[in-house]
Amino acid sequence: MQFLSSFLVRRILRSLFIVWLVTTATFFLVRLMPANPVDVYINQLISQYGMSKDEAYNLAASLFSIDFNQPLLVQYGNYMVNLLKGDLGNSLLSKGTTVLSIIAKFLPWTLFSVGLSLLLSFVLGTLLGMVMAYKRESWLDHALSAFASLMTSIPNYLVAILFIVFLGVQWQLVDIQAMRGSLSPGIQPSFTWAFFSDALYHAAMPILTYLVTTIGRWMLTMKSTTLATLGEDYVTVARARGLPDWQITLSYVGRNAMLPLFTLLTISLGFVVGGSLLIESYFVYQGIGFTLGEAIARRDYPVMQGVFLMITVAVVVANLLADLLYSKLDPRIRIAEEG
Amino acid sequence: MPAISKGKVILSVRDLEAEYTSRRGAVRALRRVSLDLHQGEVLALIGESGCGKSTLGFALTRLLPSSARVVGGSIIYRQANGTEYDVLKLQPESLRAFRWKESAMMLQSALNAFSPVRRICDHFLDTARAHGWNDRAAVLQKTADLLGLVQLDAGRVSGAYPHELSGGMRQRVLLALALLLEPRILILDEPTTALDILTQRTIIDLLRNLQRTLGFAMIFISHDLSIAAELADRVATMYAGRIVEIADVYDSFYRPAHPYTHGLIRAVPRLGGNDQELVSIPGSPPDLVGRAAGCSFHPRCPMATDRCRKEDPPTTAVGASHLVECFHWERVTSAVDFAEEG
Amino acid sequence: MAQLARKDEPGQAETPQSNGAIRFLRLMRRNRVGFVGFLFVIAVLLLVLVGPLVVELDTKTHVDRIYAAPSWEHPFGTDHQGRDVWAQIVHGGREIIFVAALTAVIATSIAITLGSLSAFVGGKVDALLLGAADVVLTIPQFPLLAVLAGFIKLSNTTSIAIILGLLDWPVLLRAVRSQVLSIREREYVQAVQSLGLGTGHIIFREILPNMLSYITITFILGMTGAMYAQVGLILLGLVPMSTNNWGVMIYLAWVRGAIFFKDSILYILAPIGAIALFQLALVSTARSLEEVFNPRLRVGE
Repeated sequence: MQFLSSFLVRRILRSLFIVWLVTTATFFLVRLMPANPVDVYINQLISQYGMSKDEAYNLAASLFSIDFNQPLLVQYGNYMVNLLKGDLGNSLLSKGTTVLSIIAKFLPWTLFSVGLSLLLSFVLGTLLGMVMAYKRESWLDHALSAFASLMTSIPNYLVAILFIVFLGVQWQLVDIQAMRGSLSPGIQPSFTWAFFSDALYHAAMPILTYLVTTIGRWMLTMKSTTLATLGEDYVTVARARGLPDWQITLSYVGRNAMLPLFTLLTISLGFVVGGSLLIESYFVYQGIGFTLGEAIARRDYPVMQGVFLMITVAVVVANLLADLLYSKLDPRIRIAEEG
Repeated sequence: MPAISKGKVILSVRDLEAEYTSRRGAVRALRRVSLDLHQGEVLALIGESGCGKSTLGFALTRLLPSSARVVGGSIIYRQANGTEYDVLKLQPESLRAFRWKESAMMLQSALNAFSPVRRICDHFLDTARAHGWNDRAAVLQKTADLLGLVQLDAGRVSGAYPHELSGGMRQRVLLALALLLEPRILILDEPTTALDILTQRTIIDLLRNLQRTLGFAMIFISHDLSIAAELADRVATMYAGRIVEIADVYDSFYRPAHPYTHGLIRAVPRLGGNDQELVSIPGSPPDLVGRAAGCSFHPRCPMATDRCRKEDPPTTAVGASHLVECFHWERVTSAVDFAEEG
Repeated sequence: MAQLARKDEPGQAETPQSNGAIRFLRLMRRNRVGFVGFLFVIAVLLLVLVGPLVVELDTKTHVDRIYAAPSWEHPFGTDHQGRDVWAQIVHGGREIIFVAALTAVIATSIAITLGSLSAFVGGKVDALLLGAADVVLTIPQFPLLAVLAGFIKLSNTTSIAIILGLLDWPVLLRAVRSQVLSIREREYVQAVQSLGLGTGHIIFREILPNMLSYITITFILGMTGAMYAQVGLILLGLVPMSTNNWGVMIYLAWVRGAIFFKDSILYILAPIGAIALFQLALVSTARSLEEVFNPRLRVGE
């Protein structure tokens, strides 16, 4: 298939491997570690709730989806099969809710906020980066560079707190309380503007935080790649050919300078998803980060496990999509593999 | 002897001065350079590294980098219909129209002359469109013709990306691209330096044939005297930002009038001759910051006298269209004659 | 572009007796921001190491002085129990910085060992290590840390540092590896190799000393990552709160809702400012060090 170059095939295989690795590691960690959650839970059931050993084991088995009677490898096999069927176990604390349903409920909000902010961040960051390169050493460049350096250094969750403190409490520019939650009560998901604008309203603070803390890296990298591209021969030749400046800036400089930025996508995504644990909690934005944070705090192990797996899968898929996009944009990768 | 000047003057450079900014001050790379280029003639600019020949080449289409600027002089260009204008005074839009259509420049290495993300044909289309030629089919046809002219397989090359072509192929594509708008002047900066011997031969032959067929004027910049001998009608020797000698190619090689030209020619080892000693010119080029009095070559010149140290040598006519800047040119020509007899 | 005979610029007067340290400082000063950052790092280090001996930590509750405004006595005001914030800042940095440094040491050591090995041995080992680094990088780091911390009880700072260090090495490994690769090709290494000296000797005696500058920069950047992860874990409540450090201050402020009071702003801002400014200073120092050690990066040369 010409569509899938060997570069992509390798990437897909690698992604599958990572997902497999994470699931397997989680399985064995949970079972085999000395103070593993299952044992702890069982002991807790026995000592605190006075259950008999059998009862405790049965309860734990159903909650954690474990069959203690089978040898470990068979358990592993069942575990993997269950995963592929979509069975991630049940929540310990919200009895009766499957982990999968929890994920399905909260993941879209994070995808929405993270996706939108990364897109905005990339577009604005590359534009500003080019401006900085073209206006090198001007006051604008210095100001933007300072801003970019500052914002990439501060941990993103602290920026979230700062936003709450300044925008919400001190200057009262936004109504933090009203912006909690992912949707205002009463609004139903639909393809209407009312729904979309409400979703945006609630996601605004997380999006702002992600935007501000990731844009700096795009800006600085784009500035340096643009500067490097400006020194390339083909830009001089393009000027010599009498091409208009706007075309040179867009098609010859920008288009080439932006390519190396795709490698940053992995890092930015990981950064944002990681920060979402705390950021969504601070803004009370019920996405997957919020869910994971809650699950960790309440020691809801199946949820922890399942959500972490889902986050990993989401990040891996996103990286794959970025790789796909990159291979489409850079002919040197695409065609070199076709041979 | 070939005709020294073919046709009318199409480019007149007068007293061109250009500087580079550096921490130590302004580096005067071109110090009042004057020359004329005639229709259809091939002019070689030779000299050591740093003599200003590349600067001159770039200055002619105002492609100097931002660290350099032209600070004086004029570059008068005469179009086919007779209109004349100073290239240095062109407004941006007119400059864009002038570039590539009237005067095209080829860089030393074509390895990076193309945007990696655009196909070869797109480069041609972009160029055509930028000059108001929007007939896509016609442009592609001309592209195919030109690629064939430089001995490339148009079917394969036209739709390819730059990285799919070898260095030599890219050099030829750049040549084809340079001829797209049928410029009257083609400037080549060290066209063969970055190439292997076989490709050099191909390019030189191509250049010669194309120049004869299409009749454009060519300025090529090189430190390789053998190419000058092969292709040029006239040779200009540059040293420390000035043209110190300009003559037709035979005079330049057999009857040089400037000690520097003489030294350059003697420095080229000869095939099949007796075992000669390799002679080089001692010393190194002068510092171009600031204004020094006298002839800039005098520290390295075997014939230098006190007068050379203090006074600027005037431009003297040695023969018909043979100009030299030296007080002692007569001694140079007689030395050469003497050497040839010996 | 045109080649010009460019004579060697005299640059700074380099007398034969130029002291290495003085030269270093002069070079650092070229990048003003970096130099300020460098000074700031030194200042903070002094503050958190020496400060606690000078400034006393107020541990009693003063009900009358809750969230007091800044004054001469309390430059940053007081916290929810009326205790001096400035003193808490002075005392609160040591643990955080120590853990960050320890983590960076562990991560850098792993990265150096594996990176050099990878670059030097090449082949399958190289591919394997690169693959491993890639995998660790793709897995979202902070969620992994949080989940691990949820599973395992983190008892003391060293275990925290170890876990953090074990996850921090991939980026550093890549960087170390490319450095070693470039050095390996240089002649003096090949010369030593031809003398038959072992791989270990070559790595530790020939290559690493030349990478010292690079290692320092990697270490500093490793510290910033470690601080991010550490404070993040504290804010999630996953780290035992034995002492009151900067991260704990923020955590307590959040838990007590201090974020939403107007008066308590300094109590929140002080630790956030300390962490943010320290991170910024570290990054500027690293960047400035890059310029010092890699002359080609110097602007305006």
